[in-house]
Amino acid sequence: MTSCPMSQEAKCPMSQEDQALLESGSMTDPIISARPRPYYAAMREHDPVHWDEKLGMYLISRYQDILTIQQDPITFSVNKGYHTQQAKGFQEEFQDILKRDGGGYFPDAIMSDPPYHTRIRKLMENAFTAHRVKELEPRITKVVADLIDSIADTGAADAIHDFSVPLTIRIICEQLGLDWDIKDRIQRWSIAVTAQIGRMQDREQMVAHAREICELQQYLIGKMKERKDDPREDMISDLVHAKIQTDDGTVETLTFEEAVSLVRALLIAGNETTATALGNLFYILATQPEIAQLLKDSVDDDRLLNRFVEELLRIEPPVRGLSRMTTREVELGGKTLPAGAHLLLMYASANDQADVFPEPRSFDINRPNIGRHVSFGGGVHRCVGLALARMEIKVAAREIVRRMDNIRLAIPVEDITYLPTVATQSIERLPITFTRR
Amino acid sequence: MVKVTFVEPNGTERHVSNAEEGQSLMEVGKANGIDGILADCGGACSCATCHVFVDPQWWERVGPPDEVEFAMLDMVADVAQDMSRLSCQVKINAQLDGLRVTVAPASDF
Ligand code: HEM
Ligand code: FES
Repeated sequence: MTSCPMSQEAKCPMSQEDQALLESGSMTDPIISARPRPYYAAMREHDPVHWDEKLGMYLISRYQDILTIQQDPITFSVNKGYHTQQAKGFQEEFQDILKRDGGGYFPDAIMSDPPYHTRIRKLMENAFTAHRVKELEPRITKVVADLIDSIADTGAADAIHDFSVPLTIRIICEQLGLDWDIKDRIQRWSIAVTAQIGRMQDREQMVAHAREICELQQYLIGKMKERKDDPREDMISDLVHAKIQTDDGTVETLTFEEAVSLVRALLIAGNETTATALGNLFYILATQPEIAQLLKDSVDDDRLLNRFVEELLRIEPPVRGLSRMTTREVELGGKTLPAGAHLLLMYASANDQADVFPEPRSFDINRPNIGRHVSFGGGVHRCVGLALARMEIKVAAREIVRRMDNIRLAIPVEDITYLPTVATQSIERLPITFTRR
Repeated sequence: MVKVTFVEPNGTERHVSNAEEGQSLMEVGKANGIDGILADCGGACSCATCHVFVDPQWWERVGPPDEVEFAMLDMVADVAQDMSRLSCQVKINAQLDGLRVTVAPASDF
């Protein structure tokens, strides 16, 4: 590696700003967390495997290093990275509550390492193929169109609460086969599950969140029992009845505990991330009219629309940082990490690396390597819902520009706030105005 | 059993003779540890990490990608060629005995 590589935005040698950022900055700082790009750039340029003292994690900011980690899921463990975070400080009590009132403590089967992970993935994958997702498109289009029609005449709305969140919840209910009347509870359940890995809850909050998770599990268990006897065309039925044949001919299924943990994971993983992506879509349309125009011009061309979605995901990745834990001493980006080091893979930073994506801050749907972003992760843990997510965002983008015009922010851009978490960069509120098209 | 030759990204030729009809070409590659066949999405046609270039002589028998696969190949236009296929979408059959493909490089950066 050369001494002064990549990122045009950063200066070489180290500027005072960069030095200050690296010395005292942290992903836990609300100001940095909301506007992290200068911090990412400073890390990429000067300290690609950067120890964030306040977070107690190494921040991995360069594309190559993230790729290296993704290709070695044994050395860089998701299981340890994830379950170490879960209810940290109160693990035993958390598990006891779920065992007592939630039908059981079900470790996250997908947040695991090979070879166990390989088996779980295989059992999930069939439900998510791009071809299956394609068949769902007409149904999802109808859901999206109905929701947009219901707000398009109002002239003003909060793009997050009135659109992105309800839309995603509606789709996930359709997908999984859940009842629409639980929509308000889903948002609460999501928050409760994510809070377990957010590292920002005290004991009282942990207990309150654990109660929510108990309610969630009881609800899911009920649904799953129904589908066991009476399968339907939905993902709960797929998972409850999932079967694969291994090479030696034995047929594998999921245990009930595993299936519960997976339905729970799908409900949460598919909810927040996609809602965040839709929020970002509105943000871009409202702040960059030329991109809104580009979308209008691309709306009847499936190839361009696909590229539009991919570039949206690259330039504003919903999931910006997920964790791993080293299971042995290992070299990475010029540093030696001990076993047990907790890492945060900064996907948003890798997507901004200028030697991989020239002029990374420009929205360019003609990039030849447009699909090389890491917004869906990579390696064996690459997002299992990615085809579904792409399709949802594509349908939303298409139906929005068909029905709404002149989308503008109703607040100054500096007033946009983000959820307090290192894992995603999610806009909290996005008041917009618009006209009907 | 069907024979397949994979040319790995570094040029190494790998001849395998244990491909079974009904398997996908990606599964054959994975089972034989072919370099560069990563198959992150497990054959869901949504990651393009199982990308191969079909030898021109075999193109007609293998056939072109469908619309969904084509969309995925377009995401890796940095390395895609006219005879690109995602190997998870190619089913092995007796007609493909002797098939020869080159594994696409992961990325050009
Ligand atoms: C725009 C929307 C989405 C984004 C940006 C996203 C992003 C990601 C990322 C970055 C990972 C990798 C995790 C890691 O590196 O540890 C991941 C994994 C995962 N995603 Fe998504 N996701 C999205 C939508 C969905 C949807 C719709 C579903 C399901 C309905 C889903 C289910 C999952 C699951 C189960 C995993 C774990 C896979 C594994 O570890 O094998 N995601 N996602
Ligand atoms: S394995 Fe992912 S596209 Fe073929």
